Amino acid sequence: MKWLALPGISLKQITRHRFRSALTVAGVATGMFLYTAVQTMQHSLAAVTQSGADDNTLIVYRENRFCPTTSRLPEHYLLDIQRIEGVSEVIPIQVAVNNCGASLDVITFRGVPPESLAEYNPALTVAEGSFEQWRGRTDGALVGENFARRRGLSPGDTFEAVGVRVYVAGIVHSPLTQDNNVAYVHLSFLQQSSRVGLGVVTQFNVRVDNPELLHSVARRIDELFASDAAPTNTRPEKAFFAQTARDLIEMIAFTRWLGLGAVLAVLGLVANALLLAARGRIKEGAILQTLGFPRIAVGLIMIWEGAILGLLGGMAGCLSAVCFFRFKSFTLGNEGLTLALVPNWNVTVSGLVLAITLGLIASVWPAIVASTKPVVSSLRQG
Amino acid sequence: MTVFNPPTSSDPHGKEVFIRCRNVSKSYRKGKTIVTPLEALDLDVGRGEFLALMGPSGSGKTTLLNLIAGIDSPTTGELWVDKQNLASLKRGQLTAWRAKHCGYIFQLYHLVPILTAFENVELPLLLDRSLSRKERHSKVAAALDLVGLANRADHRPTELSGGQEQRVAIARAIVTNPGLLVADEPTGDLDRKSATQVLDLLREFSSEYRKTIVMVTHDAVAANAAQRTLHLEKGQLVEQVQITTSEPTEV
Repeated sequence: MKWLALPGISLKQITRHRFRSALTVAGVATGMFLYTAVQTMQHSLAAVTQSGADDNTLIVYRENRFCPTTSRLPEHYLLDIQRIEGVSEVIPIQVAVNNCGASLDVITFRGVPPESLAEYNPALTVAEGSFEQWRGRTDGALVGENFARRRGLSPGDTFEAVGVRVYVAGIVHSPLTQDNNVAYVHLSFLQQSSRVGLGVVTQFNVRVDNPELLHSVARRIDELFASDAAPTNTRPEKAFFAQTARDLIEMIAFTRWLGLGAVLAVLGLVANALLLAARGRIKEGAILQTLGFPRIAVGLIMIWEGAILGLLGGMAGCLSAVCFFRFKSFTLGNEGLTLALVPNWNVTVSGLVLAITLGLIASVWPAIVASTKPVVSSLRQG
Repeated sequence: MTVFNPPTSSDPHGKEVFIRCRNVSKSYRKGKTIVTPLEALDLDVGRGEFLALMGPSGSGKTTLLNLIAGIDSPTTGELWVDKQNLASLKRGQLTAWRAKHCGYIFQLYHLVPILTAFENVELPLLLDRSLSRKERHSKVAAALDLVGLANRADHRPTELSGGQEQRVAIARAIVTNPGLLVADEPTGDLDRKSATQVLDLLREFSSEYRKTIVMVTHDAVAANAAQRTLHLEKGQLVEQVQITTSEPTEV
């Protein structure tokens, strides 16, 4: 028996029953699109909330405040924090957002001292425009590339949001996806234009020399300002995200059920399509067995069909999800934090493998049906 | 390239027994009753013989044909086809035996509708791992040529007439060069002209290529094409008609 010939027969069954196959593939693709979208959200969230051994950034926020509009800290804390042992860099940041609640299209301005940005975020590269122009212009903004694409901005444009009108001095790219969804402006400019006033910031981002010192430095910062008028709450960056964006996290956690639903829908769809095909092809299976095809070969033709349908639907669904997220550049925002939904090849490949596996599982029962019907009675059918 | 190896002059033409049934019975349960379509049947068929089986519906013709083809197994008795007792083979062994030794021609052709004529004829050859793709294609082309359908290789069953479909089915049955061909009312669904073409082909395989053919038919004209006709009634042989002439009978 030429076992390698069986996938060819299965492929012919698929390509020569075009309408039926197209409907099944479209159904699988829809399910796998949903699954990949959910997994992309989960993966993006995990990337910004799951702490790692090399995390070295702390966020200093106003105690008991969760929104950037209510977290107000004196800018002069900067000097006190810098003096704490183990701190390597501190940058004061004023955040202004159009929406503190969970939103799919959040506009975030980060006001930073222009002389500190390059030092604090060396991975930030200017893709278009000029860093110097930004430094030299008080209303200048360095716009993250996803933000710019979403809003159709290019260097030289001006735009207004959150009551702040800025000039686009450059488009920036960062390996940290959140940075690609915000606009960096001068700290003093944002303090004045958003009317929080000079000398007031939303938070401090603190970098420590040694990741092992992360928690001890956080404790010392909070102890330092505990009796001050504006006490602080200092947490590692990822823990800060996980705590501050709780609504977002709960929402994304819920989508797991959608992913599971998508998986079950794909399983049911392929199984149903193949079972109907198996029932409609009982005589065909009997003919093959009469010609000398072993029963297992008749079943394997069905199994291959399931796997190929899974592969085709998986490819269409997973890849369209990747394209969707890549070109739409979605960002979920909550409490001034942004979560960029970034397509990930691990998610895509696992989606493809899952689609093929679902196709295989779904085809087991139809394969048993197709291969175990008695030949003589099957040949008598209509 | 030929599909068959023509017999040599030393073959014991018409003398050697190819199929031997001894005390063959077949019973199966239908609801609460046991049905016995064949009972204690004895039969010998010579190598290269063209045998027709006739009889009323329910007389056991197709059951006997299925037993001889190895699609079904007898409940009791021995059924030998060319030194192989089919009654002793298990289902998987019967399947492997069919692939090598038996070609089956159905009344309703039973071609796989999504495959072209060429691909349908190629199907049984996919079971032979020793054949290269080139050899396979060459055999398929030869088989289609033999049934006069070389120019219809790329057509699907729905694009062929009934007679052409049956000739494709015959090409599929002979492409592996089996010693035995069984045909279940091969002309039952055909007009007279197509039936004549099919019967001519079967006679050619019997007389020129020494294929043993067992054909079930209701049609006396079709039975006339065979060398011998047996009548079955209630699972028993009731009459034998021996045609002595070696010349094919005009249909």
